[in-house]
Amino acid sequence: MPAHRNPRRIWAWLVALAATTALVLGFVVAPEDAVQGQAQRLMYVHVPAAWLAYLAFVAVLVCSVGYLTRRDLKWDRRAQAAAELGVGMTALTLAMGSLWGRPIWGVWWVWDPRLVTTAVLLLIYVGYLGIRGLSDDPTVSARRAAVVGILGFVDVPVVHFSVVWWRTLHQPPTLLTPSANPPIAPLMLLALVAALLAFTLAGVWVFLRRLHSLETHADSEHRSEANAAPRRGTPVRVLPGRRG
Amino acid sequence: MGPVRKAVLVLRRDFSVERASREGLVTVLPFVAAVVVLAGLAFGPQMQVLRATAAGTAWLAVLVAAVPLAQVLVGGERREDAWDLLRGLTTPGALFAGKTAATWLWLTGVWFLAQGLAVVLMGGRLSVTAVAGGVFGTLGVAVVTAVLALLTTAGTRRGGLLAVLLLPVSLPALLAGTETATVSGARWLVLLACYDALLLAVTWVVLPALMEE
Repeated sequence: MPAHRNPRRIWAWLVALAATTALVLGFVVAPEDAVQGQAQRLMYVHVPAAWLAYLAFVAVLVCSVGYLTRRDLKWDRRAQAAAELGVGMTALTLAMGSLWGRPIWGVWWVWDPRLVTTAVLLLIYVGYLGIRGLSDDPTVSARRAAVVGILGFVDVPVVHFSVVWWRTLHQPPTLLTPSANPPIAPLMLLALVAALLAFTLAGVWVFLRRLHSLETHADSEHRSEANAAPRRGTPVRVLPGRRG
Repeated sequence: MGPVRKAVLVLRRDFSVERASREGLVTVLPFVAAVVVLAGLAFGPQMQVLRATAAGTAWLAVLVAAVPLAQVLVGGERREDAWDLLRGLTTPGALFAGKTAATWLWLTGVWFLAQGLAVVLMGGRLSVTAVAGGVFGTLGVAVVTAVLALLTTAGTRRGGLLAVLLLPVSLPALLAGTETATVSGARWLVLLACYDALLLAVTWVVLPALMEE
């Protein structure tokens, strides 16, 4: 296939274009916030990272259900790739949030519903990745991970409502509000939407690359196991130097 | 023999094992007492602060006690290969139900011990909603403990993984259970009931996959 028609290459170029557009809009075109100043620009990384993390964890849930119903390890590899992306994005969300919170709230951390929910998600999915190392058998590992992937995600709405009832300090939703006029300037909204799109495209690209790597590794392991098994009719040596 | 009777037999067996070995009594209960006493030292000596943290301390003791309890009730049998013997004697659902019931009874006892110590040592209150919260909340934690213990205690690798998963997944019980001791505690009982119902529903769905080993 010609290089210019390779879907992966085209996707990579789309990601680069979207990222560049988002960077220019977010850090050059969009105005500075009247109250928060330049620190507000962290929102163009923080919000898309959180969005991508939630998207990844939904993918983990879907793929975990897919594995338990189909018992095809391809679903497990998809869940693993999605979880790794989700954990990375959750950590980035918390880091960006802390960097933003320090100049605005004066502290690195507050016991706010959104922050607590996000930190809990990170712990759950770090544990999800850890559970994969408990067994060398890929089917056992996949089954256990699928159970944790489903249990962990079901916990998310309950945690969210429990901390919302508890107290809230984080700002309410900006985009997903019932109001026809979201409380954000048009250029800022454009920059935010561009960043969301760029992160989504980049996230899908990273997910597909990681999935390809996992599948290549699985294929090579499968081939080496097949080569290691003795062929039919080949004499098996019981002792070195003697025929069995 | 019906599945409920089989689950009750598993439960009775666990209590017989505990009566003979006293492993839970010797490890879990003193651990809970130590947590409450040390919390009093850490948060004290002002009674106002202790009173405010009493309910949360009791629930924290329940959550951290769930980890060694899981090792006592599930982990030991898995490592000693007694689990396969149990699987041969009863159905997977009855075995899981019996183990969960045993864990729930243990955690309820742990909660009453921790809450009682918190009332005496930290000036906490014991209200009807708090007791109801204790019963509901420990049910949810028991289900999570049983599920995660089955997944993580089969071998000796990554022993800390049970705590890493158990504590965040049990967060609703910690939060709602603590809040049931407050003036507006009744609505938190609703959250606990929803948490329990959701966990039981999900566990019922994933039970065949969970009990394959």
